Amino acid sequence: MGDTLRGSFDTMFAGANSGTDAVVRSSNVMTVSGESQGTRQPVRTDLVSKIEKTPGVAATVPNIQGAGQLVGSNGKPIGGQGPPTVAGNWIDDPELNPYQLAEGRTPARSGEVVVNRGAADKGGLKIGDRTVLRTPDPVKVTVVGLATFGGEDGMAQVTYTGMTQADAEKYLTPKPGEAASIQVRAGPGTSQQELVDALTPVLPKGVEAITGQESTEENQDMISGQFLNLFTTLLLVFSGIVLLVATFSIYNTFAIVIAQRTRENALLRALGASRRQIAGSTLAESAVVALVASAAGLLGGIGIAAGLQALFPLIGFPFPEGSLVISGVSMLLPLAVGLLVCIGSAVMPAVRAGRTAPLAALRETGVDHSAASRTRAYAGTGVVLAGIGIILVGVVASPSIWLAAAGAVLTLAAFVVLGPVASSLAVRILGRPLDRLPGVSGSLAKRNALRSPKRTAATATALMIGVAVVSLFTVFGASLKATMDQTVSRSFAGDVAVSAPAFGGGGSGLSPKLAPAIAAQPEVRTAVGLGKGIAEVDGAGRQLTVTDPVALGKAFDLGTVRGSLDGLGTDGMAVADTEADKRGWQAGSTAELAFADGQKRTFTVRAVFEQSELAGDYVITRDAWAPHRGQDSDTLIAVSFNDGVSTADGTAAVERTAAAYGNPEVQTRDEYAQAAAGAIDMMLTLVYALLALAVVIALLGIANTLTLAIHERTRELGLLRAVGQTRSQLRSMVRYESVLVAAFGTAGGLALGALLGWVLVKASEGAGDTAFAFAVPPVQLLVVALVGLVAGAVAGRRPARRAARLDVLRAIATE
Amino acid sequence: MTATVTRTRTAARVVDAVKIYGKGDTEVRALDGVSVDFPVGRFTAIMGPSGSGKSTLMHCAAGLDTLTSGSALIGDTDLSALDDRRLTLLRRERIGFVFQAFNLIPTLTVAENITLPMDLAGERADREWLDALVDTVGLRDRLHHRPSELSGGQQQRVAVARAFGGRPDVVFADEPTGNLDSRSGEEVLRLLGRAVRQTDRTVVMVTHDPVAAAHADEVVFLADGRLVDRMEAPTADRVLDRLKAFDAKGART
Repeated sequence: MGDTLRGSFDTMFAGANSGTDAVVRSSNVMTVSGESQGTRQPVRTDLVSKIEKTPGVAATVPNIQGAGQLVGSNGKPIGGQGPPTVAGNWIDDPELNPYQLAEGRTPARSGEVVVNRGAADKGGLKIGDRTVLRTPDPVKVTVVGLATFGGEDGMAQVTYTGMTQADAEKYLTPKPGEAASIQVRAGPGTSQQELVDALTPVLPKGVEAITGQESTEENQDMISGQFLNLFTTLLLVFSGIVLLVATFSIYNTFAIVIAQRTRENALLRALGASRRQIAGSTLAESAVVALVASAAGLLGGIGIAAGLQALFPLIGFPFPEGSLVISGVSMLLPLAVGLLVCIGSAVMPAVRAGRTAPLAALRETGVDHSAASRTRAYAGTGVVLAGIGIILVGVVASPSIWLAAAGAVLTLAAFVVLGPVASSLAVRILGRPLDRLPGVSGSLAKRNALRSPKRTAATATALMIGVAVVSLFTVFGASLKATMDQTVSRSFAGDVAVSAPAFGGGGSGLSPKLAPAIAAQPEVRTAVGLGKGIAEVDGAGRQLTVTDPVALGKAFDLGTVRGSLDGLGTDGMAVADTEADKRGWQAGSTAELAFADGQKRTFTVRAVFEQSELAGDYVITRDAWAPHRGQDSDTLIAVSFNDGVSTADGTAAVERTAAAYGNPEVQTRDEYAQAAAGAIDMMLTLVYALLALAVVIALLGIANTLTLAIHERTRELGLLRAVGQTRSQLRSMVRYESVLVAAFGTAGGLALGALLGWVLVKASEGAGDTAFAFAVPPVQLLVVALVGLVAGAVAGRRPARRAARLDVLRAIATE
Repeated sequence: MTATVTRTRTAARVVDAVKIYGKGDTEVRALDGVSVDFPVGRFTAIMGPSGSGKSTLMHCAAGLDTLTSGSALIGDTDLSALDDRRLTLLRRERIGFVFQAFNLIPTLTVAENITLPMDLAGERADREWLDALVDTVGLRDRLHHRPSELSGGQQQRVAVARAFGGRPDVVFADEPTGNLDSRSGEEVLRLLGRAVRQTDRTVVMVTHDPVAAAHADEVVFLADGRLVDRMEAPTADRVLDRLKAFDAKGART
């Protein structure tokens, strides 16, 4: 699956950029941790004439790029919920333009644009339609052409608007005569590398030339490297969890099967089979099972990948051309992993099978009823204590994510080791209600679960791991939400927020003219717009908040402010206290900021403030930022109303004003906090969907164990039926046992998950600067617990039905 | 007086019982028109060479198996009219069982095994009756042990106690001494006999052991799925002689 996606993107880019032989761009790039893309200094377009004179150059065009969000025919902006919304100058040289004109004509006059077909379809735009492009200032445009990208309607969900070069310079760059890069096509007989070699001496300092090949690879890395790698990593992590869960189920099944075959193996031993032979035959069996299962799984996986490929376009994600890519590695890897997991799980049972004493043939079937050993109890407790100790050190004493993670892994291991010890106790406690049920079925079920603590523990462990990860994410998600809530309610003093999408990139932000326009409304007391800037401090990229600092102080609770926010001027900044402490700054200290345009300015710290969650660590004025900025935009406008203005009236006034600026979203405080939380919910849903698989496997494991246990207890069940247990009583007995095992796994998982969630929250808090709220969502965890129990009952259904179908006489007669 | 009244009643009986296993060439007539009464308050042994159908007869009479034709009754209840659930409830309330081996649930204690049928029914056990039973089988000091801690003979005695625990109309015992040494077997048989005579219960026992059969009030002989003889007040020697006669006949044909 991952292979297919990657392969498709690669062919798309290769196709799209094949005409460009060299790209000239600034070598000065600035990145901030957490931002997906660096900010690169623009290049002067007058370089074009210089490049054109270079021998071997056939064509040269400046490539101006910025953010521009189209408004659809329904007045709603198109896209902007993640994928970029790109605007640029339409490049007439078809070899240098990744977009090809599919319909209509190219933009010739100001206000004419070409739109990629995907975006046009989505926004209901046709050739000849007039609409608005938010850059973020609304620009009236007319669609004159539709374009395709690499043969598709668009690149994923990226929207593209191509305008005339004059328009692009006017709206997308702060100063005319600048472009993101310059694309160069080589003349016949000149290779890409020769072209770059020829260009390099011509270019001024700080400007570089790279081959088209390299540029394509960089683009691919950007998408493959970020989006796809994240996707693949996520899938791999969950596959790991699923495989771990499966390991427990497989181990358990083999252990039981071997126990049931004790007599058979003992007979073989008595007849002269060596230990090695018996262990070997068991391992060979597991290898065959693994091969068959992995092959089936692989076929199923390829089927699902093909299905997804067909499905993606339907949900509005054009899957780039290219057939299903199945690499040799991706074929062999699952097979190898499946084989390894299965054989690995079977090693212990196989060795035990080999150890069967020949005399065991004469004894009763040797089901392992042994309780957990003392050593195990001591070792497990020791590991638990060590794990929790390390966690505490990692969380409280000297915060370190790695230490906390090591402790968490150790604790997880300890839970697995302690499983058999805990299972007897847990089943006794959890099974208490069963004793009170009428009839003895409940109590019998409890005792059946107590029979083989090791088996019960191994069965429940699979579920425990699944549930633990689910609760871990539930707790972490709830904590994140609580944190956001807290942040917004603590720091955001305004009544409503106008925001560009709070989650992910894309969109063009808000027009910087919107904040003053809102502030001019009679209902509004203050409206402050926050923009984002970037600069390097001590060589590391930092995000700047660009705003009116005085208004900022009114709309946000900045906590205690030392110094003054008034008069930061063009050479002053306000800094969050955590950042100031780190660098030993006080009001009056000076620092040098290096901007993306290559300029360095010395700023004086004029104020140090306390709360930085929404305001950011560095605050400078618009005037200070203006000389260095690219496209001018705000990401958030915080509005507070005059006294006596109702939220509804105020909101209506803000919405009215905002309508002229491309209709950005206006949210009340609560909505603003919830919108941020909504993104977390979305992520959680995805995580749950992936984890559901692990839980399903765990349940299959429970069902499997029970089925084998029933086989073992055939005579006993026959006796129970003979002396008067009805079929429904027998069924509920089996189901109760299943629920009990599931309850044990769920309870352990909840405890473990809550603990790990706490560790994750605290470790994140310790590692970052922001305060993190820890929240345990009772409702969600209760739901997880209930789902665990219900799932247990479901898992018990089949074995229960099978048990009830036993023929009484035959069951009694079974040897 | 009670004795004469109960003699006339039957605890269980089968009428024209036919049981056929398999079909066509592999058809086996395990029971071929057997009619027999098991009167209340009597200890009846069913004997016959292996393959004579004696176990089948017991299983059908006890509601563990169904007849191909004919009818099996417990008291006045015709078993063929009952579905699985009602049959189960009938076994639970009106029939006791003692099997050859594996009579006890390993996870339950001796006391819990004895009250198992009543517990399954959710009924309260008759304390006095159970106390008396426990004393009769001599297991008072073992009540809280697990079956795995008991000898084979003790396990069978627990099974006997369980069989009589709910005061069933009839107790069916399938080779109850088959896995025991002769002394333990003797004890179990004496227990069965005492239960019948002291508490007026009914016992039907399948056995191939003439010594065991001698404990019964009456022996019925089966051969080739037919009732071939009955013997009142049997002794081991007489039963053995009778069986030898079968064998001789069997050898002749």
